[in-house]
Amino acid sequence: MNAPIKKIYITTTILLLAFLQTALVAQQSDYQIQQNFSAELSELTQRIDTTQSPGELAKLEIELDELRSRYAEHEELINAALYPETYQKRMNETEEQLSVALDNASVIDQLNSRITSLVGEIDAYRSQITDLNENTQALREQLQRAESNEERQAALLTQYRQSLEERNSFVSGFLQNLMSRYQNVDLGTQQEIAEAAERLDDNPIEILKSIILDYINIVDESTSLETPDYVAMRAQHEYFSEVWNSIGSNLVNTFSPENSSETKTEIDELMAAWVLSVDNQLWESLNDTFSQNGIDLEVFTTPDEFYDAIYNYVDNGHVTSLERNSEEDFAVYQNFSTFWNETVKAEWGDMLIEGEILSQSQISEIDIKLNDWEEASKPTSNLMFILLIVSVAVIVGLIVLLITKKN
Amino acid sequence: MHLYTLTNSNNNFRMIIMKPMKFLKLPALLAFMLLLTGCGSSLVLENVDYSQPLESVLSPDSDGVVHDQRYAIQFNITPLLEYEGTDSVEEIRLIRNTPGFYFVTADGFSNVYIFSPGEGELSLHEEVELPDGPISEPAFNQRTTHIELIYQSSGQTYNLDQNGIR
Repeated sequence: MNAPIKKIYITTTILLLAFLQTALVAQQSDYQIQQNFSAELSELTQRIDTTQSPGELAKLEIELDELRSRYAEHEELINAALYPETYQKRMNETEEQLSVALDNASVIDQLNSRITSLVGEIDAYRSQITDLNENTQALREQLQRAESNEERQAALLTQYRQSLEERNSFVSGFLQNLMSRYQNVDLGTQQEIAEAAERLDDNPIEILKSIILDYINIVDESTSLETPDYVAMRAQHEYFSEVWNSIGSNLVNTFSPENSSETKTEIDELMAAWVLSVDNQLWESLNDTFSQNGIDLEVFTTPDEFYDAIYNYVDNGHVTSLERNSEEDFAVYQNFSTFWNETVKAEWGDMLIEGEILSQSQISEIDIKLNDWEEASKPTSNLMFILLIVSVAVIVGLIVLLITKKN
Repeated sequence: MHLYTLTNSNNNFRMIIMKPMKFLKLPALLAFMLLLTGCGSSLVLENVDYSQPLESVLSPDSDGVVHDQRYAIQFNITPLLEYEGTDSVEEIRLIRNTPGFYFVTADGFSNVYIFSPGEGELSLHEEVELPDGPISEPAFNQRTTHIELIYQSSGQTYNLDQNGIR
């Protein structure tokens, strides 16, 4: 192909393309353009409404940008069709809708992550508490089998107590975790978590129920436990109760929103059954322990009655000492004082307060009364009286001697 | 111009009536008022643009009435269908150009009808027979100087004004 022909060919091609493009542009219907715009925008807004995935919404954002660039040249035409609305208003509204959807998707994404994390934690908790329960159960069975061997039983009991302490510590950690998450959670977040939590097979409420049932089971089935163990259990119950009072409503609203009231009542009843099981053992065990240490208290079955029994015992001792001031009374005082200070206060004191068996002020009142008892029970000494008689005798002797010498 | 004429006439008239016939002052004033009213009726606003930016696509109801709410026009297309020789159409396409003529056609029509609006009527101003036969998927576009008729199926276009194909 020579140069002039080539030039003509190129020019013809350019003109043809220009003509075709003009024809292509010319054959568009203005009405159809605005119809297409409205239809495409409407379809896009519907998709934004129904899309929750951030990734999908990002694709829709690109599509919206493409739509904007595609129809920008027809803005005037579309404004005429949409009057009194405008192209810009529609596009801005859709962008705002997309922005809100992206924000919502981000929140949902975070919630999904939170739920995934929660599921992992719950699984881990379930696994660990199951291991602890199995360990406790095995030790309990061994204790029952080792009744004939006191030395072995004592060793197993120590292990068993350690196992219970470990379990308590683990449960307390779990409760602390729940506290930090749900104590101040607002209503909106509760609802969002509730929606996401519908997918959970297990949830913190169910775990709390099983923990309480396990505690009741441990109390009812353990025969080798002693007073400190029951005091510790009551302390654990009170801590549990404190946490439940603090976050119970938020937890049931979050994880059992459809029947929150019933779920809360169920847990409250389980809590009451737990403390009843502990108390059934605790008061009897406390009475036995005091009795074994030579302290016979009045019958008690509540914390207030327990305080009254101790206070009355000390008060009676004080009154008796005031009346008799005998060596025997002083011995009774010493026995009580030793047990009270070295065992009750030193070993159980914190747990008695945590378990709301005795309050700090009640312990103080008993201490004050005990001081009075101490004063009253101390045997009075005759030494001063003897010295006085000796002194008088000496003085009388000297006077007699003096008179005799003068005479 | 009219006002100017009226003002001169009024001056002459005043000169006549001031001296001998003062009692004719009131009728003269009335006559002046009448003249002014006559001038008001000839007021014309020019360069009016009647054009619709977009065509209207209207579906007739069972009585053949189409109603364009946006541009506030309603009429019965039955006579037009009879004139075109067809029984029914799903929708008609209507657009008004700058001078105020209405262009009407529909899918399958052989013509574009150009109407001029009158007092409670649309009068056929021009009937444009298109060279390619019945129109397939027509659409009107408003352009600065004319109405563009396009065949959406083929891309064929015609430029129209109230006098026909340009």
